[in-house]
Amino acid sequence: MICDECGRPATIRFVETVNGEMRLMRLCGECAAARGIGLSFAPLAGPLVNMLMGFLEEVGAQDSVEVPEPACSECGLPYDEFRRTGKLGCAVCYTSFEKELRPLIRRINGSTRHTGRIPTSAPDDVESIREVRRLKVDLERAVRGEEYERAAELRDRIRDLESKRSEGGDDGDV
Amino acid sequence: MGTFEQMLATQPGWLDASGPISNVVLSTRVRLARNLKGVPFPMRADNADLERVRDRTLAAASASNYLSDALVLIMDESSQSKREILVERHLTGREFLRDSPGRAVVIGDRELVSAVINEEDHLRLACLRSGLEPMDAWRLVDRLDTELERNLHYSYSSDWGYLTSCPTNVGTGMRVSVLMHLVGLVRSNRIAQVLGSISKLGLSVRGFYGERSAALGGFFQVSNQMTLGQSEDDIAYMVERVAGQLVTLELEARSELTEKGGRKIEDEVHRAHGILTSARIISPDEMMVLCSSLRFGITEGLIDSVDLATANGLLVSTQPGHLKHFNGRDPGPERRDRMRADLIRRELASGSSA
Repeated sequence: MICDECGRPATIRFVETVNGEMRLMRLCGECAAARGIGLSFAPLAGPLVNMLMGFLEEVGAQDSVEVPEPACSECGLPYDEFRRTGKLGCAVCYTSFEKELRPLIRRINGSTRHTGRIPTSAPDDVESIREVRRLKVDLERAVRGEEYERAAELRDRIRDLESKRSEGGDDGDV
Repeated sequence: MGTFEQMLATQPGWLDASGPISNVVLSTRVRLARNLKGVPFPMRADNADLERVRDRTLAAASASNYLSDALVLIMDESSQSKREILVERHLTGREFLRDSPGRAVVIGDRELVSAVINEEDHLRLACLRSGLEPMDAWRLVDRLDTELERNLHYSYSSDWGYLTSCPTNVGTGMRVSVLMHLVGLVRSNRIAQVLGSISKLGLSVRGFYGERSAALGGFFQVSNQMTLGQSEDDIAYMVERVAGQLVTLELEARSELTEKGGRKIEDEVHRAHGILTSARIISPDEMMVLCSSLRFGITEGLIDSVDLATANGLLVSTQPGHLKHFNGRDPGPERRDRMRADLIRRELASGSSA
């Protein structure tokens, strides 16, 4: 069983009801947690930042392998300040604090890869990213229309394109 | 667009109840967070940086079709009461009440498109629509973004997408918010359960003017939590779908209330209307409760002497900052309550197209 979100081994199976339609989902523990499955959410919980900060505390508490970079190499933002305010100082902070940010962003979004709009000035990769985006919209439609064979086909094409992208790109989704 | 005073004299286009499902959905807002390449985010930028960002963005806005005629407000030159009005009209966040260099707002026709400069991010573009219109609002703000992009280079990574000051916005930088009037679900005590379940679908809920307004009148803003991993189309579509579900539940709750409540509900709605058209002192809290009942009465066909746009308008025009501005200076809370009652009577006397 493979996670529908990230393609890693899935451990949780559940049925999601959207608009009265049932849909079977398979997720790994992390993606399930990111979607709030198995967690209880207060309906009017405080700002997202609280959740985010709580999570950062958790990560901090593990205190396992590496001590976080003390500050951003570009703008000098101390990591502690980000923990306090929830705000980053500049674009390079995303690289400086990548190890800390990646699990956090996955937890919020269930993903760590942008599949949306691309600036017109962005050079490479653009076409394959756009293609994936189109395919995902088609996939959604296929699932809603209960065309499962077509949905499976589309899913495979999306995975294919996405794996090609990550091979050429960074260190991937770990 | 003209002056600040002209803007105030016109109702924001997103409150005019002309859009789809206006009986439950007041408006839809889509905003995009953007930052300029090579400049620290506003919190860590120095004054010279902030002013450069402002000037470059204003130049790009005036070269665009959507914002070339827009009203430009430089915050350093804007009074506190003007700033409060911007917050109450949902044009800026509360953060803009504080002094900080390089801040500006660009406001398009009828406040349907806007650009906020140097708030949490260098640039926040917003498009608002009356009723439930996430797709439409997204397409419009996307066109504006594309226009601005010709003159602005954004901070972007192919992995993370658009880079934002807060990692909760990274990726698309997109937040779709639907402003809903869920009075039926509140009254039938189903609201907590319903909102609890939508948080599991990746949406978050806030009050229109903070949590209190939601508790008082049943005005909620429902928005997407995730900004990365899905395309903008998907996000807009997801919010539309879930909001649509909420609309169905709300309409069921309303017709149940009207059927079961009968004369009692009718009486309550007309009492609210009676107080609004007659009272001489109305507090902000009371206003929220009464306005909620009035809207409910209009949508259920119990009141036909007031139209929805007028009822919607009261939610904004009776806010403290607006009353202060009309008075020239802050009259204090007690006198504001009197001004509020006067304003409501005037609006309701003239406010009907029926």
